[in-house]
Amino acid sequence: MKPHLPGLLGGVSAAALAFSAALVAPAAAQDQPLVIARNLEINSLDPHRAFCDTCQIYLSSTYQGLVKLGPDEKSVVPSLATEWTANDDQTQFTFTLAADAVFSDGSPVEAKDVKWTFERLKNIQGDPSFMMAGISSIETPDEKTVVVNMENPNSEFMGILAAPYVGIINSDVAAENGASAGADAATADQAETWFLANSAGSGPYVLDTYRPDDELRFVRNENYWQDAAPIGEIVIDQVADAVSQAQMLQSGQADIAMQVDPDTASTINSPDITIETVPSYNFIYVMFSPGAEGNQVPLDLEVRQALAYAIDYQGIIDFTVGGEGEMQASPIPNGFPGTEGLPMPEENLDKARELLAAKGLEDGFAIDVTVASMNVYGVDLALLMQKIQQDFARINVTINIQPVASAVWREQIANPGIPFSARFYAPDYYGSAQYVQFFGMIPDSWWERNASGQGKVDLVNQKEVDLLQQALASSGEDMEKAYHEIALEMINDRIIVPVVSPNLVLAYRSEIDGVRYSACCNLPLAEISRK
Amino acid sequence: MLAYIARRLIAMPLLLLGVITVAFLLSHFTSADPLTSIIGERQMNNPAVVEAARARWGLDRSLPEQYLVYLKNLLTGDFGTSFRTRQPVAQDLLVRLPATLELVIAAMIVGTVFGVALGVIAARFQNRTPDNLARLFALFGSSVPVFWSGLVVLFIFSVQLGWLPGPGRIGSRMSAPELVTGFYTIDTLVAGDWAGFRSALAQLVLPASVLGWTVTGIVSRMVRASMLDVLGQEYILAARAKGAGQLRILFHHALRNAMLPTLTILGFSFAYLITGAILTETIFSWPGIGSYAVSAARGLDHPAIIGVTIVGGAAFLITNLLTDIAYALVDPRVKIGARATA
Amino acid sequence: MSDVAHRSRQFALPHWATLPVILGGFIVGAWIVIGFTVPFWAPYDPTMLAGMRFLPPGAEHWLGTDALGRDVFTRTLYGVRHSLPIAAAVIVCAVVIGCTLGAIAGFVGGLVDEAIMRLVDVTLSFPPILLAMAVTAALGPGLGNAAIAMVIVWWPIYARLMRAQVLAVREREHVEAAIASGARPSRVLFKHILPLCWSPIIVNATMDFGQVILLAASLSFIGLGAVPPTPEWGQMISDGALHFYRWWIAAGPGLAILTIVLGFNFLGDGLRDLLDPRSK
Repeated sequence: MKPHLPGLLGGVSAAALAFSAALVAPAAAQDQPLVIARNLEINSLDPHRAFCDTCQIYLSSTYQGLVKLGPDEKSVVPSLATEWTANDDQTQFTFTLAADAVFSDGSPVEAKDVKWTFERLKNIQGDPSFMMAGISSIETPDEKTVVVNMENPNSEFMGILAAPYVGIINSDVAAENGASAGADAATADQAETWFLANSAGSGPYVLDTYRPDDELRFVRNENYWQDAAPIGEIVIDQVADAVSQAQMLQSGQADIAMQVDPDTASTINSPDITIETVPSYNFIYVMFSPGAEGNQVPLDLEVRQALAYAIDYQGIIDFTVGGEGEMQASPIPNGFPGTEGLPMPEENLDKARELLAAKGLEDGFAIDVTVASMNVYGVDLALLMQKIQQDFARINVTINIQPVASAVWREQIANPGIPFSARFYAPDYYGSAQYVQFFGMIPDSWWERNASGQGKVDLVNQKEVDLLQQALASSGEDMEKAYHEIALEMINDRIIVPVVSPNLVLAYRSEIDGVRYSACCNLPLAEISRK
Repeated sequence: MLAYIARRLIAMPLLLLGVITVAFLLSHFTSADPLTSIIGERQMNNPAVVEAARARWGLDRSLPEQYLVYLKNLLTGDFGTSFRTRQPVAQDLLVRLPATLELVIAAMIVGTVFGVALGVIAARFQNRTPDNLARLFALFGSSVPVFWSGLVVLFIFSVQLGWLPGPGRIGSRMSAPELVTGFYTIDTLVAGDWAGFRSALAQLVLPASVLGWTVTGIVSRMVRASMLDVLGQEYILAARAKGAGQLRILFHHALRNAMLPTLTILGFSFAYLITGAILTETIFSWPGIGSYAVSAARGLDHPAIIGVTIVGGAAFLITNLLTDIAYALVDPRVKIGARATA
Repeated sequence: MSDVAHRSRQFALPHWATLPVILGGFIVGAWIVIGFTVPFWAPYDPTMLAGMRFLPPGAEHWLGTDALGRDVFTRTLYGVRHSLPIAAAVIVCAVVIGCTLGAIAGFVGGLVDEAIMRLVDVTLSFPPILLAMAVTAALGPGLGNAAIAMVIVWWPIYARLMRAQVLAVREREHVEAAIASGARPSRVLFKHILPLCWSPIIVNATMDFGQVILLAASLSFIGLGAVPPTPEWGQMISDGALHFYRWWIAAGPGLAILTIVLGFNFLGDGLRDLLDPRSK
């Protein structure tokens, strides 16, 4: 007996085919949960320790702030507070809470919850704690009235209150489970683990389960005091990369894919799938640290200008996001107050060479580049650096790329500093002050500290300090004008150079309605419905 | 023999302590301050926050002190808290262990079935074309990088042909079955969830095949050698002379005698499967220990890295011990202490 | 013996030149030649823009272009200039360190033997990739660090092998005679013992070559090995996984790893057949 091998194998594969076809027969069910494919990357689900893009989605659907960002993405509209007033110099804010607002356990939202939440956020010293900086006291004259007093004028406070991290927590429930709002909250609070399994807000959804690296599951808040959310159950499924997300969308396993990059989107060609490309407020920037220890050539203003001129900005947009992105003038994203009419960055090799020649650097030099190896908003930072490496080679500047874990990058950027690197930023709320406070060369801003090597080089720009004070004490056009001038100063500093604001791809099955990108909350879950 | 087994058993706890120590020390010789993984970016320059975090995570103590505390906690099953998931590492590992075991066991089944089949074919047609083809197929399996073959099969069977689902452990619309064994294929059956079972099984086919292929070579080589050994022996010649059919000789006599050495070789294949599982899980978004290890290594999540290394080491130690003992029992010709190297 | 038979023996292949050995030798040899000569004839620069991005395979770019418009074929060929030297360095270091310690352990014995062999036991208690991952996570990414990690993984194998050899050879008569005649220990070790220990070490090293290449690529794939823009195969496949629908980005490096590891496995398989008559 001689088995006929090809025939045998053919039989086996035919059987395998039939077997697998039987396996993937779809299960028809109308009340299926809505599936969102996304890379979770959650650092915490404690509203005051969390600080991530998925956290924004989570917090804005399980908690509610006093106010929220309106559909125009600019104005602030009522949420838990029905009305509010600010005094003329923007130092005192008074809120009246909605009479019928209740938490998910049915208990009423009261002034004491607001006071407790704000104090915990401030005292816990987590990433979003900066939002409560400058609060001097909080008064609760009655159960439905809150008065917040500020040390200094803060015209942006209402914008901050619309941020998901400032959602009001059910203080009784949280305190029972180890949460603390006292001055020693940074060490006394023990509720972080509890928050991984429970939500305690008044939002349209409540947390069902969270399994790290697997899924985040929401169910409708049955005690919701406003109009109930259309979809009963929503799952955010951990899918790490854009391609798998797109694939799940195409095969019907997901309803919404959140991080499909434009390159991958261009390969999707199906009538069942809607793809919208919208400008985002996220951006990728490169930055110079004149104070970094590794600098072989002093990175003074002229050298920074020369290098900024050598970057092929349009090329970067083409290469990193397949042309689906916008240039951005200053570290304040396009569309935020003060950004109208700013001059866009310019590629000019002649000027770059001229500037370097004036410094005697026409033969070039080398810069060490440490960059976090990660893919954000569809841009692979190491890949971006390789493109800039090609750009800089044109003016004889060599860059040596060292990709590291994000945690290592954070350590090195503070000490010993990184001469040249790339990073990303997404807004925490609608308002320009956060950018000045983070990117501006004002004393003790994050980048003033790190770019100067913790003060080894003087980079402070006093004009920005004065202008920011002006902006915070004013409103309307005066405020816009002040931010505009700050933006011009930040461009001239040439410390932070934005290279691309990637467009956001909203990819979803066509039977899904209400998918939109929001500056504060990423994806408002409660607005999503099935057609 | 008994003395050998006793010696190995006595050495076990010491080796385990060695494993724990090495894992612990490695993580503390790292170039990066673990605090950077704990504290958010904005608070890095805030000395008060840095000090508080150092105290809270016990990083303000000396290295020997931290080591003793770690050992003490380990005795109670406490592996510390992951920097990344903010959950106890032990809990993270427990949730993920069944996923990895399910994948590895499925891969072992695939590897054994194909390995035995190829081995039988190879022995039957010794040194002829089918033998060479079978060896070639098996050699390919141990040469192909799983992180590439995984991509290839996903591209072909999931994207192009649409026969099998993409990455994941169960269809995205289904919720995980009630925890009984942690094996989705079993738990869905226990729950009587037929659709869930089909989904879990379909999800398992591609990763298990890719991973199983890597060990077909070892298995088929062993089956072939053992069968050839037996086929050359006198009683087979006698059976043949008595007119027993080819197939009967092949399966009744030869294969049965080749089974025991084959079972022991599966222990050796464990090393390949662990290596492969880490990469396969990454490609197939399989929420097991392997992808947890990769995320931990990338994110410098030290408690998680130590935990995974210890658990992996312990599993490896136990498997090796069992394999060595079984192997020594089955085949006294094998020098005790010899083992697979890769 | 007839004239004809005599002549035919002259032209016959030596007994070790079995088909797997020839095939493996050919593949590995081809890659070595490519590694040495590729800069002289490669169509493009491996790290610079060579055309539009994401071009599918065609006449201009045999394996297409990647996300930065680099030629995948060129980068694949250049990849061998990283993989082979790294593997060679790892094997050489592991053999030197492992054999030295193994020989010392076997020859000196006693406490030294105990200490070395317990270290070997502990190191071998880790699944290789987990140990390598833990080491590279601690040292930081980079091909050099990945190589260090792999030496740490591999040396104990050679230490164990060498110790067993030394112990076996020690018992032989001529060695015992040399010791009895009062020769210096170092002389006995180098003159009488070591020369007899090498052949299994060399066979093992050949067989491990492919495994080292695979592990190096695996580490790069998970982001702990080579750093960009190095055209390293594991790194390239990880790029390709990001742009999965452009299958050609990962195809070149995938096939490259497959062929070179296959080549070494052929060689190893052939050698094992020669040494272990059971698997013939």
